Order: sequence, then structure tokens, then C-alpha cells
Amino acid sequence: MENSISSARLKQLWFLIRPYVFALGLAFLFTGVMLGLLGFNVWEAFKTLVTTSFSSRFQIVETFKKFTPLVLTTFAFAIPFQIKFFNIGSTGQMIMGGTIATILGLGISSIKMPSALAIILILTAAALTGAFYSLIAGALKAYHNINPIVSTIMLNFVAIQFTNFVATTPPWQAPLTGHPMSKELPEWMLLPKIFSELHVGFLIALGMVAFVYFIMKKTVIGYEIESVGHNLRAAEVHGINIKKTTLVTFFLGGMLAGLAGGIEVLGVHGRLVEGFAVTSGAEYGTFGTLTALISGAEPLAVPAVAFLMSILLNGADSLQRSLMVPVELVFLTQALIVILVVTMRERFKK
Amino acid sequence: MVESTSNILETRGISKRFGEVQALYKVDFSVRKGEIHGLLGENGAGKSTLMNILYGLYKPDEGEIYMEGRKVHIHSPQDSLKLGIGMIHQMSTLVPEFTAVENIVLGTEESGSRVRLDFSSARKEILKLSEKFGLKFPPDVKVKELSAGTKQKIEIIRALYRKAKILILDEPTAYLVGDEFDQLLKSLKVLVENGVTVIFITHKIREVMQACHRASVLKGGRMQGTVEIDKTTKEELVSLMFTGQNIDVTDSALPNVVPEPVKRSEKPICVVKNLNTRPIVKDGIVLKDVSFEIYGGEIFGIAGISGNGQKELAEAIVNPSIIASGEVVINGNPISNLSTIDIFKMGVFYTPEDRVYEAILPTASIKKNLLLGHHRDEAFLEKMRTLRWNRIKGVSKELIRKFNVKTPHEELEIRKLSGGNIQKVVFARALMNPIDLLVTHNPTAGLDMSSVKFVFEQLLDLRKNGKAILYLNEDLDELMIVSDRIGVLHEGCLVAIFHRDEFDKNRIGALMIGG
Repeated sequence: MENSISSARLKQLWFLIRPYVFALGLAFLFTGVMLGLLGFNVWEAFKTLVTTSFSSRFQIVETFKKFTPLVLTTFAFAIPFQIKFFNIGSTGQMIMGGTIATILGLGISSIKMPSALAIILILTAAALTGAFYSLIAGALKAYHNINPIVSTIMLNFVAIQFTNFVATTPPWQAPLTGHPMSKELPEWMLLPKIFSELHVGFLIALGMVAFVYFIMKKTVIGYEIESVGHNLRAAEVHGINIKKTTLVTFFLGGMLAGLAGGIEVLGVHGRLVEGFAVTSGAEYGTFGTLTALISGAEPLAVPAVAFLMSILLNGADSLQRSLMVPVELVFLTQALIVILVVTMRERFKK
Repeated sequence: MVESTSNILETRGISKRFGEVQALYKVDFSVRKGEIHGLLGENGAGKSTLMNILYGLYKPDEGEIYMEGRKVHIHSPQDSLKLGIGMIHQMSTLVPEFTAVENIVLGTEESGSRVRLDFSSARKEILKLSEKFGLKFPPDVKVKELSAGTKQKIEIIRALYRKAKILILDEPTAYLVGDEFDQLLKSLKVLVENGVTVIFITHKIREVMQACHRASVLKGGRMQGTVEIDKTTKEELVSLMFTGQNIDVTDSALPNVVPEPVKRSEKPICVVKNLNTRPIVKDGIVLKDVSFEIYGGEIFGIAGISGNGQKELAEAIVNPSIIASGEVVINGNPISNLSTIDIFKMGVFYTPEDRVYEAILPTASIKKNLLLGHHRDEAFLEKMRTLRWNRIKGVSKELIRKFNVKTPHEELEIRKLSGGNIQKVVFARALMNPIDLLVTHNPTAGLDMSSVKFVFEQLLDLRKNGKAILYLNEDLDELMIVSDRIGVLHEGCLVAIFHRDEFDKNRIGALMIGG
């Protein structure tokens, strides 16, 4: 009796993860063939890719440091995606957040205040900046029915130019550097470390995971978002305000992306650096989109998949250093995983 | 087959089922060469299904199609084009950015050189056809700049250019204005003089009387009969359209329920005064000066052919943002400035017309579906605006038991239930809290007999308990079973209200079509 129940559970679980197993298997098989054809040692490469992140304290910290902004930009896409809207703008929202964080940080650097207060102020400003920047796209959708794919991509360009402007213009510009970047923020304003080089932003990100889960699963607004995602028309007929729901999802998504920007500035770079929203050669925003698509935008799946992606990203860096495997090959694997996961999910749908 | 020789097209025993809905049942239909044949029926009667079968878009479950006495198999629109059947759809299928000539040539390219399109000879042929049949249009203007009537002419010429012998026109007058209908009639006369056969699909009796030689009437997926227009009357067509023997789409008759006498309340629960609405969809229909009241213990039925303002009326009561002027008052309180949720909290609930697209969240659980519309009820909220999922789960279990929903548990995706069980969930949601007014639109559509009975029992139960019901249904027979009064909607106007003792199918049916 007991056995039959657990075997039914197992079967259920298998049906759930089957598409992912097949997708990952095929993606790695294909990558393996590519690596082999390019003359690399396939076994060594895979071992590096997967085990690097656990090989030392430094690498574990590096993985968590990548996870921190990634899980936030993943939610930035995943939340509007609950109601089938594409927020491709997490890159723009993140760098706007980081840029405003820098401006504010430099602006208040001469004022005496407790460091915790400064950090809270700056991160709140970064989050709100991302939120309102994203809200532009949300409002264009809600009131003028403009596709957010278009508006968010356009807003990314605006954000990039704004960052470049701040990083190359006094009073913010660092005077003696070749690369566009701002002056350094004072030490006392930076995020404190909790473990080796791991900054407190990691804990904030985990807090946000809990926050999103709470919003989506426990609150009325979460239920409304979910309902609009299931059937917009039925939700509307039963009294859910579609415009408001659209705005809320974009606000929440942008808020998390903006927060990611603030955390990167205060936790990793200590200043605004052009390209600070990039890791292993690709934007956190783009990776977040991919991660969200793989995770199916499920609030509980997002952190798990984001963590796996961080392992791969960190492994990819190491792969490039140790075996000279171009990091693009890992992007290839990742792109394959996305395509295959989406395909397999459809394929195995009953 | 001797009798088929004069018939250019004939179907025998065509049946088609979509899930639980029997769209067509053993339909025999025949069209003579060179006639304009009307195919008449309400929305959902099966007209479009039958034509889509002839056009190769649907495959019939059973039955045969004969052309000029020969049995044919139509698996795709290409097959039907090859047989000489051309379809003119209700909505233009022309490419807006192309000219008329480009549109007509599109899809026939293989006839010319493989690389270059031979426009000039095609153009000449098209203009010749246009001249011959009196269907004039500017050949080189982008189609998007032309009127609906002109686009229709282009579509007809496109079919003729492809050597169509039979033209099927699906609701061809739906988008015509002014004298375009008369022009269309003239062109159709020329077409049939030249040996083309026309099938004219419509739900308007007037048009059939004006345009057709013969007409066949479909109701609930069954052929009610074919008449010669010269030898028939409008009244006969009305009675065929609305009062056939088979009122629901399954094999059974309607449930035998009789409303018991109930004393209606002194004061009306719902008062609608000079209601005018904005269109819900762009250029859609609006309500014009609609007034009525519904008392407690009363089922107020609304009859009308789909699209005459029923949806607008139902929505105005639960979503006053579409009200342009006039008033809706519930229990003495005007609702014009309230939100849907506020109105629900006042003791009103709504079961919308389309079960799958408006009433439910198909991919969510039964539990989450039951919560919809009640999600801001105080009973389900903690102080922090979080949902009391445990309580919701308990209420769901209780409702599933009370309404006898056949499901293993409340977490099942609702789309996995049958239509009848989905409707039970929809009613369970509507009746979760005590309500004073239920607005229910086509609640029995596509349901089998026992589910129809369930719905009727719910309505009568509310009535017995002194509640008011606004019951919109396109099926007149069903309305007449349970309604205390019936109002008739035609083109957004409430044209008449009948008391139960005045119910007369023919009179109501005639008013429904504007007679």
C-alpha cells in the first residue's frame, strides 16, 4: 500500500520533470558534440562547467554573487509574464537603478549618516527608479495598448545612453580612467560582507524571493495577477481591473530589476561602471529572461533555475580561463536549453 | 439517383459534433443549379458548420456530399475550389495592402510563368469578369481604402476567377451600408442568369424573402425544411426558425419543469431606467433607452437574436463603466459609480454567456475558479489583505458537495470537467453568498438534458426564495418554460414585454427579427 502510493508520487514527479530532463540531456549532448568537434576534451569541459562553482570557497561566493542579480532580473521578467506580457526591459531598469543609486550615493556622500541608513536610502531609490522606469512600459500597455516588447527594448537604449552620460560627465565622472565610470562611492556606503567576498545583497535577494512568493501566492493582488494570466476576459468580467494589474506587474518587475542595479553598484563595483549589468559577456537582463522562460515563471522554480544558471555562468568563466573554451559555447548551451525546454514542455503536454 | 440530376450540390445525413455539442445532426440539404438558395437559422443553428464542411474546413463525422450527382470527398479548401465551390466569408479575407488585381491573382500564380507574374493578362481577364457580372471596383487601389461592399465584390470576382460554379456567401449583408445590399442583389441575379449557383447564409428573414428562390431552415443543428419563397410567408419561416420540435442540441426534449406560483415582491429589486450604453467592442451595438424592472420572486427573460444587445445589457448591470446615460438601481441604490466587485458585494452575481472564454479560468483549479469574483470578500481576507486559503478550500469542498460537482478534489484544473460540471461550478460561485439578483446569459448553451434541468432548478429555487433573475437566452423555448415575463431585444431596443399569459412564440419570434 505504502509502496504503491510512493510509486504513484514518483510517477507524478517524473511527468513533471520529464521535459526538463530531456531538454538538459539533449542540450548537453549537442554541446558535447560541438566541444568534441572543436577538439576540446569533452569530459574535462563538462566537469569544469558543473563542478567549478563548488571547487572552492571563492567559487561558491562567486556563484552566489552571480545568483543575486540574476534571480532579481528573472523575476523582473517572470512577474509581467504571469499575465503574458514580455518585459524585455530588465536591462534598462537595472542600469537605471544602478545609475540613480550612484548619483544619489555621490550626492549624499558628504552628509554624515549611519551607513545602514544610506544603504537603505540608496537601494530604495534604485528599486523605485526601476519600478517607475518599467511603469512607463506598463502604462503604455495599459492605456495605449502598446506592446511592451517594443517599449521596453526602446527604453533599454535610453537607459544605456543615460548611464553613459552619467559615467562620462562631471561631477560624477571619474577623472583619470579610460573606461566610462563614475567616481568611487565612499567605503562606508558599500554593502557589508557577510561571508568572505559575499555581500549582504545576497540576503536581500533571498528576501525578495520570499517577498515575491508571498505576493503571488498569499495576497489578493497575486491571485488577481494569476487570474488575469489564466483568462484575461474572465478576470475582467469578475471585477479584476486589468489596467491596474498590468501596472502592478510592471511596477514589481521593474522594482526588482532596479534593486539588482543598486546591489551591483553598492555590492560589487562600488561605483557606476559602463557595462556593470553584464556578466560573463551577457546582460543579466537577457539571462534573466532566459532563466524565467526555463523556469516557466513559477515563483518557486525561479530561484532554483536561477541558481543552476549561476553555476553554469560561473563554470563558463572558468572554462574560458582554464581550457580556452569560448564562453559563447555556454551561451549556446543555454539557448538550446531554453528552446528545448519550451519544445519539450509542449511535446509532453497531455 | 434520378432526383440528383437537377441538384448541383447535395448533402445526405451530415452530422458533426464538437465535444459535447452536436452542431449538425443528419442534415440533408440540396441546391439546384442556377438558384439563389437561402440558408436560414439563428446563431449556433449550424449554418456556418455546414458551409465549412462544404468548403473543406471541417470534416463531417458522417454523411455524404454529392456534386452533380457524383459523390465527392472534400478534405480541404483546395479540394472544394477544384470542385468549383467558392466561399465569401463574413469578414474580408483580402490582403489590405494589395490591390484588387493582386488579391485576385494571389494563390493562382502557378498558372503563369514560374518566376514572373503575368499581371497584364490576368488583369484583362479580371476586368472582363467584372464587366460581365456588373461587379465594378477600382482594380489598382489598395484594398484597405475600399468599402466593405466593394471588398465583397472583389471577393466574388476572385471566386469566379477561380472558376467557381457555386458561391457560398456567409452573412454577406453584415457589413453592408446604404444601397450596397440592393447592388449585391442585382449582381447575384446576373450571376445566376449566367449559370452560377448561390448559397446565401443569413439569419434575417427579410433578406431571404427579397433575395432567394428557395430557402432551407436550420435549427439546433437539424434541417427544419426547405421552402419555395414564392409559395411561403414570413410567418412560416418564423415558425420554422423558432418553433421546431427539437429545442436543444442533444437527442432529448426539454426538462419538464413547471414554475409554481410565487408571490412577487412589492418593490422591484432591480430598476433599469432609460439605459443607454457605450459599445463593448469597437463599432459594436449599443442599448437605446432600455427600461424595465425586475421584482423579487420573478424571472425576467430577455429574448433576442444574438448580438442585439444582450451582452451589453448583462454587462451594464455588473460593469456600469459602459453605461452612457440612464440608470440602474439595485435595492434602491444607484450603481453607476460602483465597481464590479462593489456590485457583487451588494448581492448581485453574473454568469456570462461564454462558459470557457468569459466564465472560467480554464487552466486554474476549481478552488481558484470558485474564488473569482469573491476574492475581495471580507470572509476570505486576513487583516493584511492576504487570502485565507484554508477557508477557501473548505468552502470549495462544501460547494462541490452541495452542487454535486463530479470531481475527485477541488484542486483539479476546471477545464478537465465536462460542460455540465463546469456550469455547476459557475453556479456554485454565483450562489456562494446569498444574492438578490442573478444575471445569467445563455446558461444552458451546449448542455445536456440533466444539466439544463440543473440550471432551471437553480433559477426556480432563487425565484421561490424571492430573488430576482435576469435571464438572457437566445433559445425562446427555454425562456418560455421558466420566465414570468419576457422582454424582446432588437437592435439594442427593448421592443416589447410579454407577461406569461401572453407568451406567443410567433409574435415574440417576429419581434426578435424586427417584424
